[in-house]
Amino acid sequence: MDIVLQQVLNAISLGGIYALLALGLAVVFSIVGLINFAHGELMTVAGYALFLGVLFAVPLPLALALAVAAAAGAAVLTERLAFRPMRRADATALLLTSFAVSAILRVLFQNGISARPKPVPLPPALSGTVDLGPVHLGAVPLASILVTLVSLILLTLFLKRTTMGRAMRAAAEDFQVLRLMGIRANRVVAVAFALSGALAGVSALLWVAQRGSVDPLMGFIPVLKAFVAAVIGGLGSLPGAVAGGFVLGITEVLFQAFLPEAALPFRDAFVLSVVIAILIWRPDGLIPAKSARRS
Amino acid sequence: MKRLGRLLSCSAAIALLGGAALAEDVTIGLATAQTGGLAFADQPSLAGFQMAIEEINAKGGLGGKYMVTLDIKDTRSDTGATVQAAQELVAAGVKVLITPCDADPSIAAGQISQAAQIPTLTFCGTTPTITDAVGDYMFGTYPADNGQAALLAEHAASKGYKSAYILKSPDSAYTLRLPEYFAEAFTAKGGTIAGEGTYGLGQQDFAAEVTKIAALDPQPDVIMTAAYEPDFPAFLKALRGAGVTAPVLGSDGIDSPTTTGLGEIANGIVHTTAGFAADGTPLGDFYKRFAEKTGAAPETVYVATGYEIPYILDAAVTAAGSMDGPALRDALANLEGVAVLTGKVTYKGTNRMPSRDITLVEIQNGARTPILTATPDPASVPAP
Repeated sequence: MDIVLQQVLNAISLGGIYALLALGLAVVFSIVGLINFAHGELMTVAGYALFLGVLFAVPLPLALALAVAAAAGAAVLTERLAFRPMRRADATALLLTSFAVSAILRVLFQNGISARPKPVPLPPALSGTVDLGPVHLGAVPLASILVTLVSLILLTLFLKRTTMGRAMRAAAEDFQVLRLMGIRANRVVAVAFALSGALAGVSALLWVAQRGSVDPLMGFIPVLKAFVAAVIGGLGSLPGAVAGGFVLGITEVLFQAFLPEAALPFRDAFVLSVVIAILIWRPDGLIPAKSARRS
Repeated sequence: MKRLGRLLSCSAAIALLGGAALAEDVTIGLATAQTGGLAFADQPSLAGFQMAIEEINAKGGLGGKYMVTLDIKDTRSDTGATVQAAQELVAAGVKVLITPCDADPSIAAGQISQAAQIPTLTFCGTTPTITDAVGDYMFGTYPADNGQAALLAEHAASKGYKSAYILKSPDSAYTLRLPEYFAEAFTAKGGTIAGEGTYGLGQQDFAAEVTKIAALDPQPDVIMTAAYEPDFPAFLKALRGAGVTAPVLGSDGIDSPTTTGLGEIANGIVHTTAGFAADGTPLGDFYKRFAEKTGAAPETVYVATGYEIPYILDAAVTAAGSMDGPALRDALANLEGVAVLTGKVTYKGTNRMPSRDITLVEIQNGARTPILTATPDPASVPAP
């Protein structure tokens, strides 16, 4: 029984990170219809900012905040330099632009910083264990669960209680009408990117805390997971992204935990079969976006 | 008299020209990954390689007579691009080809240079089957996976460990075969395998896997893996987080500052490396020289192993007296005890994956200490 409970906690913790990642993609997609494959590189930016913070012995809370801010800043910058000039282009052109941004950033990291991973030593407390009755939970997975919860609450408050948040929700439903209401499109889009970058930053902190280093190609796998999660959830739907993230994380951990050893190398095939099954059952995702835009 | 003078000056000029002509220009082609997923190994290897070529050219060239120019192509860590680069380099008439730090692109590029009879060396490809997969012109340079595994198994046996758990990933030959070689060598020494786990490269979440290890009863005496960044740190954190205290053995992939940056949980890790840069050793001196030249100490031992390759070539060219393909191949294959930074390299009697010194280091309190440097006993090295 303990082992099942332990694996359930493991699943929730991984699902939380995927949910944050998928939310970051969904926030931007819901407004500009762009699947930002450079989202992973925003995580890398946060990772390098954290590396610098730790290197120059900046107090940890400040270093963490700076890392999130760096990712948000980088997101706004890529929007301004790469995506805004392409605003009127079709979805495919936007998608390709995001691949280009991603490739350029990776080469810049590789040749400008180092092709080698940079260590990010975090305090030993973050490698410790918290005992919750019969189960152990590592400090990082526990932090993942808490951080995911707090981020989701803050994001919900922002979207429901602030003018900008309402404007963003309205933009997700019908951008043209929102503009007719006199809301400035550029500002809404910039805030969406900043928010997406901040989410990338937060998930990067959890990701880096787990791996202990940052390298130029770090963002590749997380953005793939986020994409899968966002598709399961329903592209452009924020509650869908969260649901998709949890479903993906839980499916992965359960297969890893309970598949027989001989089948384990095919874990991802099993996970993706579940994804396909979900999409056959609900082609628009678990919780489709209201405007039901499909890429 | 005048005519004699002209004749004399003419022959003096010919003698001079003849002297100059003795130093022949040759090109070495490098189809290596300077960007992409293999750049972490190929970039530092290239830096070392270039430094050695500069030194050798300053002394008169390979074998004292071949001045080397390098033709460097970036393969972007793509096997198709590696093949294309190899084709271009072979067509351009390079005398030696250098391939990336990985089995797949090295084997693909090797097919082309093998057909053209051009000796080919992989930067730090460790898979011992690389050479036989290509043919007699393909050479490894770095400590092979089965050699590393043999030394780790020897260490495990000497520590009295009876049972081992191995964690492997089928995603690469290195992460799959090295633990399997270890299992083979360890059971040959009387050990047993308590269990095997599997992970995906870059998976990063090890909670489910370590929960299974924590549930093993009895616990294994030792855990062995060839996982490296970012998987290894994530695995170790999860493992210690789940309360597993068994010592961990690793391979040269974790010879990076990230591992020592893990703090207390890294204490007691023993892993293999191509060399440890202690003060006063040739490797330590090289690290100092490299730092003086570039302003930064090498980030990894790959710089040193890259630097060693031109010197291995130099020994072979000296023995062959030429850079003709078949002659150079034979000379390389017969090299014995060539002194390099990290010890001695021997090809004679091997399948062209060198028999060479490997160092075991132990991590304590954020620092590594060498505990053993040895060439694995060929009898205990698992067959590739």
